[in-house]
Amino acid sequence: MKILLVEDDRRASEYLAKGLCELGHLVEQAFDGESGLKVAAAGSYDVLVLDRMLPKLDGLEIVKQLRAAGNGVPILILSALDEVDERIQGLRAGGDDYLAKPYHLEELAARLDALVRRQGEAGPAGKLKLADLELDSRARRVMRAGRKIDLTAREFQLLEFLLRHAGQVVTRTMILEGVWDYHFDPKTNVIDVHISRLRQAIDKGFERQLLHTVRGAGYTLTEDP
Amino acid sequence: MAFVTYARSSIARLAFLQGILLAAAMVAVLGGVYFGTSRILATEGDQLIAIEAQSLTEDFRDRDLDAFVTAIVDRAEDPWVRGGVYELRGPRGDFLAGNVVVLPELVVQPGGWAEFEVAVTRGDANASRSIRARVVDLNGGFRLLVGHDVQDRRAFRAVMLRSIAWAVVVTLLFGLFAGWWLGRRISRAAHGISASAGRIAAGSLGERLPLTGSGDEIDRLVGRFNELLGRVETLTTTMRAVLDSTAHDLRGHLNRIRGAAQDAKRTVADAAQVAAADTVIAEIDRLSATLQGLLRIALAESGTAPLEDVDLSSVANDLAEFYQPAAEPGQLLATIENGLTVRGHRQLLSQALANLLDNALKYGRGSPITLTLARAGAAARLEVRDRGPGIPAEHRELAQLRFRRLPGSTGLPGSGLGLSLVAAVARLHQARLQLTDAAPGLCVVFELPLIAPRAD
Repeated sequence: MKILLVEDDRRASEYLAKGLCELGHLVEQAFDGESGLKVAAAGSYDVLVLDRMLPKLDGLEIVKQLRAAGNGVPILILSALDEVDERIQGLRAGGDDYLAKPYHLEELAARLDALVRRQGEAGPAGKLKLADLELDSRARRVMRAGRKIDLTAREFQLLEFLLRHAGQVVTRTMILEGVWDYHFDPKTNVIDVHISRLRQAIDKGFERQLLHTVRGAGYTLTEDP
Repeated sequence: MAFVTYARSSIARLAFLQGILLAAAMVAVLGGVYFGTSRILATEGDQLIAIEAQSLTEDFRDRDLDAFVTAIVDRAEDPWVRGGVYELRGPRGDFLAGNVVVLPELVVQPGGWAEFEVAVTRGDANASRSIRARVVDLNGGFRLLVGHDVQDRRAFRAVMLRSIAWAVVVTLLFGLFAGWWLGRRISRAAHGISASAGRIAAGSLGERLPLTGSGDEIDRLVGRFNELLGRVETLTTTMRAVLDSTAHDLRGHLNRIRGAAQDAKRTVADAAQVAAADTVIAEIDRLSATLQGLLRIALAESGTAPLEDVDLSSVANDLAEFYQPAAEPGQLLATIENGLTVRGHRQLLSQALANLLDNALKYGRGSPITLTLARAGAAARLEVRDRGPGIPAEHRELAQLRFRRLPGSTGLPGSGLGLSLVAAVARLHQARLQLTDAAPGLCVVFELPLIAPRAD
């Protein structure tokens, strides 16, 4: 995918650009707010990675101006200001996701992927489907190969979240934020336990496994690992 | 309720005291006037009687008896117009002249004074008049009574007494009202200051107290108070700005180092170098987790975190359910009362409770853990109790300090910031935090003031 990186810390920007290139993305860079806004408005990018605090024009201001001009490109705000309230501000300004520094490259890549592909939006009937697994968000029902699967409310939410990002890697932090709205590190492996419970529920007794662990990154729900 | 609060204030007591004092002063002044006036009236009346008795005594000496009797008869005519009362008795007690018949039974005080009542018929009405009289023994055994009607004087005194009583009552009421009104003005100002101070302490540092513009003592006090608030705000915002920029700077550096290490890891081929890069990355992650923890504590302690109405019951329910899979089956027992709302910061409250549960799971060594949320008067009482080794009493204070890890916890993961965040979050919420011995185990109690449920 084509990524525009607006970051005034040149060395950090270089490392990030290099890392993203190695993951197969096309990366362009801008080093201050003004040129960032100009390039973003002129070019067509799949996703924007914006630093929150930029010289000349603040990151939030770029988001606001792009949105005011009707530009709907997905934007991830990177920030060394990591507080939940800062995050809310960033999202309110029109950002789509918010990641604090120092970030893991894998985390950033997973989030960009989730932003760009945004697939798995529920269909008109409110149904999400992957292979023989089907989730009906209106009837709050999950079926696999025609068999009903009983899930708790939270397991249902977790599965819904994974299905919306089917085929993508989701990190533990993304799950924590997306399913529980927690913005802290719970320090235990509790997310892994929740995932393994869900795996028990949806994969046990089926030959084809759908929920996979991606080492060092997170999890993915996919039919072809 | 407002009245009860008012009655308990020192200003109410002051108002009451002022009313009482004013009334007492009134009693003293008017009482003086009353006694003075009635003494003057009494003295004057007595003097007039005494003079008349004296002149009649001289008449008796100078004239013959018949002329004297005629004179008395003349004076006694139509007595109720002039108010004079007379009675003359002969040596054998025989009635000679006068307009009353009282002498034989009359009790005469030393000095010759007597007081008695006389029934008077005026038209159809029977009335009783008070008389004060002097009895004089004349030469040859004659007795003369010279008196005067003092009914009007008595009536005047009674009217005066009633007026004074009314005046005192009115003064008392007026004094109480004036005190109450004045007190309410001062009390309102005091309450305004107190309420604002509360809000400011709760984080709205930009708030200032309103000046009335009258330039009085209260206004001057408010002005000083506002100056003080300005300084507190400047200090707090400066501290926050320094903290933010330091954090920003540190994070930027950490980010660059992490990028470099990750870049190095991808470009080197040697296994030892890869391992070294991994170590660097792991250390940076630990460092940034610590930094993050410290910043959260700083945020909570700065009091600038925005607060909202938070359903504490759902926060507790969610966390209990979140941590349930991390515990052994049946190890974590949650008893949560629904509908308890507090004024707070949802994320910080969640994180504080998560830290408590995390600690209980980590240090409780598989022992049963109970999470209880219940109403306790006007507060929500959150309790996390484990049956592990607990914290010795002498270490409980220490445990809330930053980077303090207790003896015996080495080997377990942790930064030593968990309980200090809990303590900071407690302070932000003006909550009471208590660490007690659960014998065995640790019992952490967190009490937050409840918000009254809104009727909707």
